[in-house]
Amino acid sequence: MAFSLSDLAKRSVFRSVIYSLLVFLLGAVSGAADEGDRPIHFVNDVVPVLTKAGCNAGVCHAKQGGGQKGFQLSLLGFEPLEDFESLVKDGRGRRLFSAAPEQSLVLRKATGETPHGGGTRIARNSESYALLRNWIEQGATFGSAAAPKLVSIEVQPDRGLVQMGADQQLKALAQFSDGSVRDVTSMALYESNSDAMATVSENGLVSVLDLPGKVAVMVRYQGQVSVFTAAVPLGATVGSLPKAKNFVDKHVFANLKQLGIPPSPVCDDVTFLRRVTLDIAGRLPTEEEVTAFHKETNGDKRDQVIDRLLRSPQYADYFASKWTPLLKNRRDATSDITANFAFHAWIRDSLLANVSYDQIVRELLAATGTVVENPPVAWYKRVKDPKAQLEDIAQLFLGVRMQCAQCHHHPFERWSQDDYYSLAAFFSQIGRKPTATAGEDLIFHKRGRATAKNVKTGVSLKPVALGDDVGNIAADEDPRLRLANWMSSKENPFFAKALVNRYWKHFFKRALIEPEDDIRDTNPPTNPELLAALEEHFINSGFDLKELVRVITRSQTYQLSSQPNEHNLSDRQNYSRFYPRRMPAEVLLDSIDDLTGASTSFANLPTGTRAIALPDNSYNKSSAFLKVFGRPNSASVCECERVQSSSLAQSLHLINSSQVKSKLAGGNGRAARLAKAKMPTEQKIAELYLVAFSREPRPGELKTAMDYLSEPLIDANGKPIAASTAAATNFQDLIWALMNTKEFLFNH
Amino acid sequence: MKRHISLAAVTVAATLLTTSATMAQSVCLPAPRLLTTVPMGGQVGTTVEVTITGDNIENADQLRFSHPGITATQKLDKEGAAIPNRFVVSIAADCPTGIHEARLMTRLGVSSSRVFNVDNLPETTRVKPNTSLKNAMAVDVNSICNASMTRRSVDYYSFEAQKGQRIVIDCAAKGIDSKLKAVLIVADSTGADLQVERRGGAIDFTVPETASYIVKVHDLTFNGGTTHFYRLALRQAAQGEVVPRLPSIETVSSFSWPPTGLTSEAVLSETEPNNRHAEAQKITLPCDISGSFFPAADVDTFEFTAKKGEVWWVEVASERLGLSTDPSIVVQRVNGEGANETLSDVVEFSDIPSPMKLSTNGYSYNGPPYNAGSSDIIGKLEIREDGIHRLQLRDLFGGTRNDPRNIYRLIIRKAAPDFALVGWALHMNLRNGDRNALSKPIALRGGATMPIEVVVVRRDGFNGEIKLFMDNLPEGVSAAGLRIPAGKSSGIMLITADQIAPRGLSNASFFGQATIDGKVVTHPCRLASMQWPVPDASREIPSPRLLADVPVSVGGSEFATITIAPVEEKVWEVTAGEKFTIPLVHTRRCEFSGANISLKTYGAGFERVAAFDAPLAGDASEVVIDLAKLKTPPGEYVIAFYGSAVAKYRYNIGAVSLAETALKEAKQAAAKMASKAKTLAEAAKAAPKDQQAASNKAAQDAATKHKSATAAALAAERQLKSVTAKAKSKDIVDIIVSKPITIRVKPAKTAEKK
Repeated sequence: MAFSLSDLAKRSVFRSVIYSLLVFLLGAVSGAADEGDRPIHFVNDVVPVLTKAGCNAGVCHAKQGGGQKGFQLSLLGFEPLEDFESLVKDGRGRRLFSAAPEQSLVLRKATGETPHGGGTRIARNSESYALLRNWIEQGATFGSAAAPKLVSIEVQPDRGLVQMGADQQLKALAQFSDGSVRDVTSMALYESNSDAMATVSENGLVSVLDLPGKVAVMVRYQGQVSVFTAAVPLGATVGSLPKAKNFVDKHVFANLKQLGIPPSPVCDDVTFLRRVTLDIAGRLPTEEEVTAFHKETNGDKRDQVIDRLLRSPQYADYFASKWTPLLKNRRDATSDITANFAFHAWIRDSLLANVSYDQIVRELLAATGTVVENPPVAWYKRVKDPKAQLEDIAQLFLGVRMQCAQCHHHPFERWSQDDYYSLAAFFSQIGRKPTATAGEDLIFHKRGRATAKNVKTGVSLKPVALGDDVGNIAADEDPRLRLANWMSSKENPFFAKALVNRYWKHFFKRALIEPEDDIRDTNPPTNPELLAALEEHFINSGFDLKELVRVITRSQTYQLSSQPNEHNLSDRQNYSRFYPRRMPAEVLLDSIDDLTGASTSFANLPTGTRAIALPDNSYNKSSAFLKVFGRPNSASVCECERVQSSSLAQSLHLINSSQVKSKLAGGNGRAARLAKAKMPTEQKIAELYLVAFSREPRPGELKTAMDYLSEPLIDANGKPIAASTAAATNFQDLIWALMNTKEFLFNH
Repeated sequence: MKRHISLAAVTVAATLLTTSATMAQSVCLPAPRLLTTVPMGGQVGTTVEVTITGDNIENADQLRFSHPGITATQKLDKEGAAIPNRFVVSIAADCPTGIHEARLMTRLGVSSSRVFNVDNLPETTRVKPNTSLKNAMAVDVNSICNASMTRRSVDYYSFEAQKGQRIVIDCAAKGIDSKLKAVLIVADSTGADLQVERRGGAIDFTVPETASYIVKVHDLTFNGGTTHFYRLALRQAAQGEVVPRLPSIETVSSFSWPPTGLTSEAVLSETEPNNRHAEAQKITLPCDISGSFFPAADVDTFEFTAKKGEVWWVEVASERLGLSTDPSIVVQRVNGEGANETLSDVVEFSDIPSPMKLSTNGYSYNGPPYNAGSSDIIGKLEIREDGIHRLQLRDLFGGTRNDPRNIYRLIIRKAAPDFALVGWALHMNLRNGDRNALSKPIALRGGATMPIEVVVVRRDGFNGEIKLFMDNLPEGVSAAGLRIPAGKSSGIMLITADQIAPRGLSNASFFGQATIDGKVVTHPCRLASMQWPVPDASREIPSPRLLADVPVSVGGSEFATITIAPVEEKVWEVTAGEKFTIPLVHTRRCEFSGANISLKTYGAGFERVAAFDAPLAGDASEVVIDLAKLKTPPGEYVIAFYGSAVAKYRYNIGAVSLAETALKEAKQAAAKMASKAKTLAEAAKAAPKDQQAASNKAAQDAATKHKSATAAALAAERQLKSVTAKAKSKDIVDIIVSKPITIRVKPAKTAEKK
């Protein structure tokens, strides 16, 4: 798919021509057919112009606290009555001049004729200008209350196969309450969910770039949203596929076929063992495990390894280390230690016992009592504000971001302020009593009818779960239990989806919906059939987390090689190969300890405690390693708090930090032991490779290592160093070299 | 010049720092405290060797128990000398199993108590470290192991078990006074965790395969030390068998349970399903029902018919049974029927409030850290209209918890006015930042008066006065109860030792008496204490509990720092409305910081006597009481004056002279041996050949004895140094309470006649 710069230039010219033609045609149709002599309506006609021009964006006149220069508009025109007042009446009506509409301040500012901080927003010869001018001329009325109301918008087409490098013009149609349909293509707003895959012009022309997969363009018009999904094929021939092992493979392979992306082959045994051990248990396989797995001849030995790992306490430790930061298990004061240890242990023990996910969430959501007696209560110690509680719960367990809806209608979603406060109402009857531990309350249901007041309308709202009525809740009933019931019902469209999407990302680096906690109609999954199937499987399993891990890791998809073939290097979202990723901070630290034979000491914890078993964020302060490699600080409900990107600091830390050096040079470390051990050097090197990479050294690697280890060493004065000291130093160097390879640092 | 000023400033600052360091004050005079016993219990019918540790327990020679079935003698060495801090404890075959209390009788009197457990299972005590899988200690099923936790460690135990066997693994820690928050784990033989229990429960383990298994024990936050002791029990059980938990101490709140005359078993049991109104279980009043907050979010609904004007009392026990529950009741009247049914609230019941404002663990002591209240319920139900009523009972902590062991007892009765009492050694704010929550045994110094704060939980509308008494006190000890006035919730018991009171110990009885419906009703007053002496309640949460007995003692080796007493031991007769003076005598036995002690007054209605200063250097003071101002009605009152003062206290001065004498004797003995050794050495040199061997041996023996005597002298010197250091004057803020004073206020009319 290579192309030259001149191709790009040609393509650009072509696009411009098409675009101009379309704009002309659309403008002609809409102007002639729709506008005519129809009285201009403020909500249906004027506000869309202001929105399209960006006047009511959050950074412009919808800025909180007075907008710009005293001209305040509601965000994206969600409050048209207020906007009308602001435009027509505020400032003693100085913004409009009906006697000479062109002299109206609003038009002069928008066109840049009068200096405007926001620059020129509307061209004088544009349709928008004409509309505003006509409206002012007509008397700048709000319009009839009987005027049809916007019901929905539709994008045409809503999906399609678009080749790389090709364009697709979208058409946005607004449907009104009187059944009329208006073409609003020029007034709608467009946004691609992946600029790397496709860009979109302000008039709805989608330009697909050179990455295969699914890309979505969100179309917004006056609080209504719609989405166009493009499948961008690679177009290569997909020949033989690995035999599908379960529904995961069925859906992934179907998608690959549709897009023409041939997958990499299934990885070899040792690669699988290393990968799955890192992903399930957060550690490297031991030498014994590698050797035993190698010798095992049973056909389902991979499945057996998965089951063994899922039974191991490290599974619980590792996944607890994933959940506790998201649940804000944060050490702010020394006295938090008991609550934090108890909370972490509750999650860890629940995972070990494979308590169903809905039950874990129920215990957290509806926690009552004291922290020591009922550790999930600690969440309410960290998250005290009912608004923060609903926002965290929605984002973490439902994949829905409700924050915007606190102040205004969610711009990308269907959530209104009523939805927000109706969800807040579930948390309105949480009673607190102080306990003997300072800052720690006991939690109970405070008898009373649960309601929350919409601060905008002043109306008290009863609990409603994202639009779903959960029935009347008696004063004695803890509404949080109803919320938990709603979440865990089989029909809940968010709960299972959010979890399977989150777990998919754990194993594949990229979630089916990205970001994993922003699930909405306008952010469609890359493989909707797969997501639906995973969701169904998870629900039918009784929200069994181990079963979910099992079904994912048993799939051939998970077991594909990370080595790209000639076609799939550019694939970033279709899982045609395993996407390598750097080990998380804790896993890397533990792996370095395993490789070097060292042990990291953590305050208050027994010697030998692994970094994946750390209960809270307090250890980030004392461990530069964990900080540098991005261990989260338990401040956010977003997984993005864990930094998985690489940095210079990380490289320097691995190459030259005193912490790593001391691990290499430890008297009881692997280097010291191997230097003294009475066994063939080849065997020593093999041991290192088995621990670091779960494989034997290749002949070339073995020779390089042998050569290096046999080199005599001299000190700073040029004098030879004693053989025993030199051997230890050489082994340290070799381990250091292995540690700094991508093969070690990455799960691949 | 600048430099000069700077130096001067530094000098001043240094002086201030030094002064403030030397002025640092402790609170309360040292009290004897038994902190640990190893092991923490034993099997019935056996003899156990127990090692103890404690504070201020030098030369303790008696270990006593709350049950006569347990006795102890000092452990003796080969020479028949007592080994310090070691006792041989005999547990009689008929000694009841469960929790008992051990205390020491010391120089200062009886010590604070420590739980001593008696069980039927054989016991072991861990002696070697077992903090790794490799060093796991093998234990038998059906045995109890006593151990203490090592900080930042996990203790490992191994046991063999057969497939299908049911083994209940329990660990007693908090319930036996330990600071350990025990985590219990069953793991396979490689140490991989299988089952975990972190909330103080037991693990019910059904053995999956015949094999060796591991039990891990650690603290929730990996704390440890000798104070973090535990008893690990492995019991085999039949399927379906109810295995009782290891016994546990009683919480303070449980003193108010059960009500007088309650049968051990409830008359009725709740019957599920009864969660919804339509499923209400029909009952008639009065009633006594047992039930369980099970399953999660359980609601138990009971329906009864009642008539307007009826008054019922509702009591629920669950938290007071030692459970972490918070019962809540709503009673509603049912209006209409079927689809037209509506409900109107009659009353809600939640907690039994603490009779006193509790400590907040804030900057300084601001209330007792003993909560005599409970999350249980005692409430009054007044029926306003004839008709059907429903009572719904929930556990506010039970929304997500599935544990049938969270039981309750619900009683609805006609008013049975009554009361329950609990007391504890009084503390007060003794200095800025005083957050002490100390365990204070009743170990009296000669001339001291110790105040016990007593609170009452009143039942079913009883509002009358409660008098407080103590009997069976040691010789020279008297007790005066400052009654709990009608309508009030607290009083004071003062226990006074005469200056000449001999060393003594008795198991006192402590009770309160009230007249209810014309009858005199007597109830015991339970005593509560802290499990540990907590010097800073903001760092360590105080954990109080009920005590099994009320031992009162006089140490006989120290005196109170000061005794303030009325000039005359008599009943002070005064006339209502009169102003009168009580001259006070001070018997001072140590130096104090400050010129005066500010004294306030205890005693019903006398609390409003204005605080007055009494000179600490002088031998007398007086208090003027204006009964007109206090509006004190005629009657008999017991009052006392209290305050705090910084005493320059010297600990165990007697030990210094003893150590001096011992050192002198040891030195003399060493000198004597030195001389003898020298003589014998010279004699050996000069001895004829045939006596050479014998002479040499005698010289060698003498040299060895000389060496021992020298070592003994050095030890005596160290001992003197140690006791001298301990006896150094130290500023301690002491609670000072005067001897009680009885005042009889006569009616004014009688006074006129006179």
